[in-house]
Amino acid sequence: MFLAVLTPKDSPEVSLDATLVNRLLHRDVSAFEQLYDRHSRIVYALVLRILQQASTAEEVVQDVFLQLWRNAARYQAARGPFVPWLLTLARNRALDHLRLKSERQRRLEDQSEEPIAIAGAPPEYEKALDEKRRAERIRALIGALNPQQKRAIEMAYFEGLSHTEIAEALKEPLGTVKSWIRNGLLRLKEGLQATS
Amino acid sequence: MSDQDQFRELIEAYALGALDEQDRATLEAHLAAGCADCSKALQEARWVASQLAYLAPPAEPSEMLRARLLQKVRAEASTANSSASSRGRVPYWLWAGAAALLVVTLYSTWNAWRLQMEIQAVNQRAAAELQQRQQLQQQLDAAKHQAHILMDPTSKKFPMWPHDTQMPRLEATWHPEMGIFVTGEKIPMPGSHRVLQLWLIPKAPGSKPMPSRTFWPDAQGKVVVMVDNPPEVMAETKALAITEEPAGGSSQPTSTPMWEGGVS
Repeated sequence: MFLAVLTPKDSPEVSLDATLVNRLLHRDVSAFEQLYDRHSRIVYALVLRILQQASTAEEVVQDVFLQLWRNAARYQAARGPFVPWLLTLARNRALDHLRLKSERQRRLEDQSEEPIAIAGAPPEYEKALDEKRRAERIRALIGALNPQQKRAIEMAYFEGLSHTEIAEALKEPLGTVKSWIRNGLLRLKEGLQATS
Repeated sequence: MSDQDQFRELIEAYALGALDEQDRATLEAHLAAGCADCSKALQEARWVASQLAYLAPPAEPSEMLRARLLQKVRAEASTANSSASSRGRVPYWLWAGAAALLVVTLYSTWNAWRLQMEIQAVNQRAAAELQQRQQLQQQLDAAKHQAHILMDPTSKKFPMWPHDTQMPRLEATWHPEMGIFVTGEKIPMPGSHRVLQLWLIPKAPGSKPMPSRTFWPDAQGKVVVMVDNPPEVMAETKALAITEEPAGGSSQPTSTPMWEGGVS
């Protein structure tokens, strides 16, 4: 298995996040401030990409970080690294907001507010790539896919659309869309493996 | 293709939330049956999916957001001792409800093994019930929250007067910690592709109005707006205002206020 579950002591960065979240349980405002400064940019970028409006995105980001402050115990370091957990929480909140705006036209696939368990990255990947280089790497890997395949993955991730909805929007056969999404993520996984 | 291969083909799309209802119910039943390989594959796929966030164009939240959040967090930290016990306790009936739900879910899973042909129908019913429970719980939570705001002695109540005297007035209630609650009746629907938007007018001279929720009246003209996390604190706010804006809301008002109410 190439993605080992990352325990907090595997990477100093991941360990620092887990320590900071643990301090939130003791109402440590400076720990919250550090977590916000470390991760608010990527959270905001993700939410803004989904909602496409700055004021609404800031409202959702505020909500995400307040939930982190008020319910820090929901994150359990033993079940996966912090940043993917936070990004999944932010994505779900933003998609919830998007669906409310469109009168609940779309289904919420992930019923839970918190991802149950997320595997960790290979330790070398976590150590080697800062946020900027990681973004460049992901963009390069996804950019290597054919444009329709890339679009299908983006529609699923950023717009919360299902296979059927994507097939209808792109006017492509359902089986093709399913293959695009699965193969695209598997290629991304292989590419990240190569990074490590 | 083996059954196991069929399930593995669904894992990546499930992690993205892209599976259609039937495929999702099938895979969830399989996961609930305890397939360790698929559970492990799902954990990996969730991590890979989370990395897609880095495709978003770089963007920086405003300093105002940081300041607002820290102000709110510091205020909550200082009052945590007095309110933590009541806020943190999970009511007994909720535990009982969760336990009952767990029993139902376990029974459904066991039954699905024995009666494989019924598995999808059972899971779909369970999912619908769960969704209904969650919706009812959310409605109950929202109603309790609104009742707290309305009844708490620290809340400030004030009218929002219409600029057009033919229009009805709105009632606003602001609790310093729990948020703003605005209600009204017989409110006309805004024009096509337009929404109503709430604004907070800061006291500080020269400050711009802070954008808040967008909303519509319901079919009977009733307005119920709840803002859990206002973009500004009460002490720094002079007034609330409501304007009509393009669908999706605006970052700055594009029309004159239809209603205004002085906070202090």
